[in-house]
Amino acid sequence: MGVQQSIAYEGLVRPDRVHGSLYTNPAVFSDEMDRIFHKGWSFVGHTSEVPDIGDFRRRQIGLQPVIITRAPDNEVRVLFNRCTHRGNMICAKESGNTATFVCPYHGWTFGVGGEMRGVPQQGGMGKDFDKSAMGLANVPRLQIYRGFIFACLAAEGPSFDSYLGKARKLLDRACDMSPDGEIDLSAGWLKHRFHANWKMLPENNTDGYHVNVAHASLMRAVNAFSAQAFDEEKGDNSVTRDWGGGHTELDFAARYHQSGRPFQWFGGVPAAKMPDYVARMEQTYGKDMAQKHMIEGPPHAIIFPNLFLAELNISFLIPVSANEVIQYYTPMLLKGAPEVNARALRQTEGAMGPGSFLLPDDACMAERNQLGLAAQSPEWLDLRRGLEREYTDPETGLLSSAVSDEITNRSFWKEYLQLMSQAA
Amino acid sequence: MAMPESEIREIEAFLFLEARLADESSYDEWEALWTEDALYWVPRRPDLDPAREVSHIYDNRQRIATRMRQLKSGFRYSQTPASPMRRVVSNIEIAPAGADEYEVSANFMLMELAVQSTRNMNFWGGRVLYRLRRVDGQLRMVVKKILLVDADEPIANLAFLI
Repeated sequence: MGVQQSIAYEGLVRPDRVHGSLYTNPAVFSDEMDRIFHKGWSFVGHTSEVPDIGDFRRRQIGLQPVIITRAPDNEVRVLFNRCTHRGNMICAKESGNTATFVCPYHGWTFGVGGEMRGVPQQGGMGKDFDKSAMGLANVPRLQIYRGFIFACLAAEGPSFDSYLGKARKLLDRACDMSPDGEIDLSAGWLKHRFHANWKMLPENNTDGYHVNVAHASLMRAVNAFSAQAFDEEKGDNSVTRDWGGGHTELDFAARYHQSGRPFQWFGGVPAAKMPDYVARMEQTYGKDMAQKHMIEGPPHAIIFPNLFLAELNISFLIPVSANEVIQYYTPMLLKGAPEVNARALRQTEGAMGPGSFLLPDDACMAERNQLGLAAQSPEWLDLRRGLEREYTDPETGLLSSAVSDEITNRSFWKEYLQLMSQAA
Repeated sequence: MAMPESEIREIEAFLFLEARLADESSYDEWEALWTEDALYWVPRRPDLDPAREVSHIYDNRQRIATRMRQLKSGFRYSQTPASPMRRVVSNIEIAPAGADEYEVSANFMLMELAVQSTRNMNFWGGRVLYRLRRVDGQLRMVVKKILLVDADEPIANLAFLI
């Protein structure tokens, strides 16, 4: 039997470049599932996906199937989707409402909160059979922040607070687009298969450099962006940011403040077309703060490793293999804002998903990257863009740079290296 | 009263023409089939309410025009070059709907070659619901609603004409 060699990640992630094998090597993917997705924190879902007692929804954490449920005590649980008898994936339906999960193999029955209800012919299980110990397993750690459900499959390790860190503010900014301070993810998910490595998604999603090139067809078909957009040399003063912990942002606020018009992030819809939303925002946040929210819009940011706050969309990824990943998208509906939500649905269809005007080109680029990376030379991917001009922003204390700079990628890889360097 | 054979043949011929123009990415000719109140729709579920839920595609006439401009821009990388495609349209059922409209439904199977990146042969299938209208003697498409078998599963790029 050969000795399995551990991979020395310190040699593969450098400040200004990363090694191509990180995208293609199945052994790297296996380490990532263990060290990032199974031992670390990641996004699982949102409480608005299971609003009523008995609601359930299947999801995946790394490669492991789980069920998000709303238990009879009205608490949200995340349960492993595995019968405690012989391992049958007990919930096959994508989502729904139920009182019980019944295993179709031998009939073991569990409540929607995971507790064991009973087994057929219980006498054969022996005198010491303890039903209370045989419920569906809960994920070891679960945290909910403003409806966003995060889980960690390791009982020990960094706390949720240290994982999320300063990026908590990004979730706040998303929720504070609603006059009720709450978002609602009930519009369903578009699911998009990429034949590419999962890391290309968080890297691409806050990459400002590709937009004018990879999305040139949309620029030509509609006036989607101003002439200066995504080009600091033409005066786009948007900012790329490292929020720490691998969380990254492409912040357009400075560009939007140049004209000071609200809703530039929403196709420039005139405020007069959404009078109730404007009034309710002013009521909740005060005139000045409401105006600020409506000019700056929701964040465009990555919460490491798998959540994408995509302005008025929420997106996340599920890794499949070194060469395959699935990206999910749904409109970020705002509670108390029906005028916004009606438009948000159509905006999501335009921008996100396999049939949209944007994401198919991103998928095509990711797949072509994956194909190109099969070439052994050059060994490295270049990530130096902006290294010489990044700066610590005195206002936020965050490392920041120009709109087209790769600080976001470097920030992702910093966290990646930290997690991957830990001994298995 | 049974529909005259010639009328059935005319509707079938329209479906086959629409299928061929889509297969061959003949954007201008395909776009010309639509009425002004068009709806090109790929929902995630047959019974989906578009006022509450998101679809893969929900194009009105204006958005269809934008889609064609994007495809013709020369920079729509996910369809550059356009996917070679062929589809079979079958199991056609026709029902008159008022004086000059028809509700038509059919099954389809489509082979699409993703030459832009993976060169995977993607296999698409489902049922299509058409609403057709006779305008100045010619059949036109008012609604094309495509119910993919795997609409609610992870799917590949849908940037071509489905």
